[in-house]
Amino acid sequence: MTPQEIEKKVVDILSKKFGTEPSKISPETRLAEDLGVDSFGAVELMFELEEAFNLKIADSDIEHIKCVKDIVDYLVNWTAKKSE
Amino acid sequence: MNKRRVVVTGLGVVACNGIGVDEFWRANLAGRSGITLIDAFETDDFPSKVGGQVRGLEPAKYMPPETARRVDRFVHLGLVSAEFALQDSGLKLEEEDRDRIGVIIGSGFGGAFFHEEQLIQGFDKGAHRLNPLAVPRITPNAVASQMGIRYGLRGPNMVISTACASSAHAIGEAFRKIQYGEIDTCLTGGAEAPMTRFNFGAYCALRVLSKTIDDPTRASRPFDLTREGFVMAEGGAVLILEERERAIRRGARLLAEVVGYASNSGAHHMVMPDPEGGDAARVMAAAIKDAGLTRVDYINAHATSTQANDAAETRAIKAVFGDEAYRIPVSSTKSMIGHSLGAAGAIEAVVSVKALMHQIVPPTINLRTPDPVCDLDYVPDESRAMKVRTVLSNSFGFGNCNASLVFSEAT
Repeated sequence: MTPQEIEKKVVDILSKKFGTEPSKISPETRLAEDLGVDSFGAVELMFELEEAFNLKIADSDIEHIKCVKDIVDYLVNWTAKKSE
Repeated sequence: MNKRRVVVTGLGVVACNGIGVDEFWRANLAGRSGITLIDAFETDDFPSKVGGQVRGLEPAKYMPPETARRVDRFVHLGLVSAEFALQDSGLKLEEEDRDRIGVIIGSGFGGAFFHEEQLIQGFDKGAHRLNPLAVPRITPNAVASQMGIRYGLRGPNMVISTACASSAHAIGEAFRKIQYGEIDTCLTGGAEAPMTRFNFGAYCALRVLSKTIDDPTRASRPFDLTREGFVMAEGGAVLILEERERAIRRGARLLAEVVGYASNSGAHHMVMPDPEGGDAARVMAAAIKDAGLTRVDYINAHATSTQANDAAETRAIKAVFGDEAYRIPVSSTKSMIGHSLGAAGAIEAVVSVKALMHQIVPPTINLRTPDPVCDLDYVPDESRAMKVRTVLSNSFGFGNCNASLVFSEAT
């Protein structure tokens, strides 16, 4: 999966889950401030990402994820590590 | 201490044969069943396959999307009913002392949908994947708490869980709290969303569900000789109860008055009613006495369509009213909407209030083969226009938890 494909899939998940138009979600969009994702929402989102990308995200990693770009970077890194 | 009078000023209901009081009431008067083959889950390996599912409900239309997304289905049913009831009551909450508004709701199971989903998730994927909101979504008191949060109601807030009598107990206890001055207003009723594979399977195992499949609308047939069990259903109902003088001062429409309540136990068996109906007779008699009456014009029976209940309830009605029992119309809401367990008492309270408002009694449908032990006037098939001044509504839960409520015309 290319970084562009990963980003598209993440935006798609965010848009469905939080009822926001995909066009209004950019890499800089912040989860808490812009999408209103609280700590419970963040955990639920991680579950969906785990399901969609077939990986396991540690609780300690969730704390570092603040915006859409953080999610995409995390997934790109993980994909790169997996293919090594 | 002088007891205060308590009136009903708003109704909200969500049932399998109608969403909202108007649609629900029209369906009841027309004898329209809401029972269908179940498609909410796989029923292939169950002997029973029919139920009362609420279809076409869009919870997000009635509550913030964030709430809609994060609560169990039983809370959806409760919150939608509460919204309908508040609108109906014309209460302006921002002008009310919300420390004196309570929320007392009945539910037998609480968040059964999410509970089942999380059990599967936990076993399949590991503890790591348990939802952080599992506890507040599953707990039965979520429905009352969510109503409190949504409307800022700061009075007593609780859920009563007494199986199929849950919401009748809730209404009765709300009535008492207003009577004795603890609160002035209460959102009370019930919410139940039990239609999950585990729950349904468990009731099948208990052998209490109707096995009729070919015509689902015929599956629930209370008082009929061929009745063979109840039909599981989901639903919700909320009534707004208010202290009468206050309700009059604010210009509220008085729909009916709550005049009597009693609860007791058969202390007999976890599932079977006392076959003589002694406990059912005592609770009815106590509620009627509480209302200061000796007779009622109409009885909305518990009438589940099980062999045991309908025979015992009939015997109990005769024990209370003697020969007069044959002149009191008795009908079964469950003949049309099945048994929504913890929500049933509240839905039937709505029917009782509507019967008083419109002076018409809805029928018992599917009563085709008379049972010699069920020989009262069950208002078969056709609703009946008649003088209705007082209504007795019965709810009997598994474990012999009984509650009877008495309503009268608003005066």
